[in-house]
Amino acid sequence: MPEWIIVILRSLTLIALLFFMIKWLGTKQLSQLNIFETISGIVLGGIAAIHTIDPNTNFVYAAIGMIIWFIVPYGVEKIALKSKSFRDFTEGKSTVFIQDGKIMEDNLKKEGYSTDDLLEKLRDNNIFLASDVEFAVLEPSGSLSVLPKRENLPLTAKDLGINLSPKKEPQTVIMDGKVLLEPLANLSLNTNWLETELDKLNVAIENVFLGQADSDGQLFVDLFDDHIAVPAPTEMPLLLATMKKCQADLELFTLATENHESKEIYRRNSEKMQQAIDLIYPYLK
Amino acid sequence: MTVGSQVKGCYSSIKSVEASLEILANKVQDEQAKQVFEQVEQIISDVKQDLHYQVIELSKQEPQY
Repeated sequence: MPEWIIVILRSLTLIALLFFMIKWLGTKQLSQLNIFETISGIVLGGIAAIHTIDPNTNFVYAAIGMIIWFIVPYGVEKIALKSKSFRDFTEGKSTVFIQDGKIMEDNLKKEGYSTDDLLEKLRDNNIFLASDVEFAVLEPSGSLSVLPKRENLPLTAKDLGINLSPKKEPQTVIMDGKVLLEPLANLSLNTNWLETELDKLNVAIENVFLGQADSDGQLFVDLFDDHIAVPAPTEMPLLLATMKKCQADLELFTLATENHESKEIYRRNSEKMQQAIDLIYPYLK
Repeated sequence: MTVGSQVKGCYSSIKSVEASLEILANKVQDEQAKQVFEQVEQIISDVKQDLHYQVIELSKQEPQY
């Protein structure tokens, strides 16, 4: 058998072997791998590379080597999942760099980080002043996780005490002009609903490049034809505006009427409307 | 525009709001949001009844309409 055919056969076998081994070793991202996992990955690749281009080596040795380098990291990973102390040993522990806003110089030294390295890592986290940090910890993967001081954290709705309506994930219901039935069913909607909504927007389904529906049942579309302007859903803003108008009308009637009894009824109802608007405002926004 | 027709206009707006709320309450996925929509719908329904009474009262006072 000519050597080039052997190389082709070896390459294909090794590619298949490597592919499945990497798949079974897990789908962690490269940056999340610890040192041991990274090295076993490199060794697996190295063995495959050497035995691919050198037809004189013993192919069985390649298989044995690869299987050993696969089984040991695989076993280590499985045991590490079960045992915390074993995990600390193989994956390493995190090291606290900054606690209560104070830099722990001893820990920096232990991990071999210079002040410049620490500042660089902080800048990676968009922090340019070390005193802005409340707590920072070096993860086993080598990235620095930073908790800024309370006043430097981004403002959230919780901080402002704003009441927000819960939002579920939106679903993609039209892709490349074709209806996707499963996401539609997830929102407990059907094709009739979709047709009605598209009719309201006055577009044909063939012209829709992407259509997404949110959990409130509003449809957002992007068309193939970019010259056509698609109106944004108006149902909810319109409802809120109508409610506000009614409330204002009722207030107006309260002021306008002379009849004492009617005045009382209008005033009471305008208060009720205001209460309803306050309740529903976060959901219609 | 007379007061009577203004109140009637407001009454019909309220009815439309009530219907929209009912549609939304049936359409929305989140249980909490559904409850809020139903609660608000109940308030609007109360307001609607009061207004309906007012519309009748006003039409009595303005017999020409």
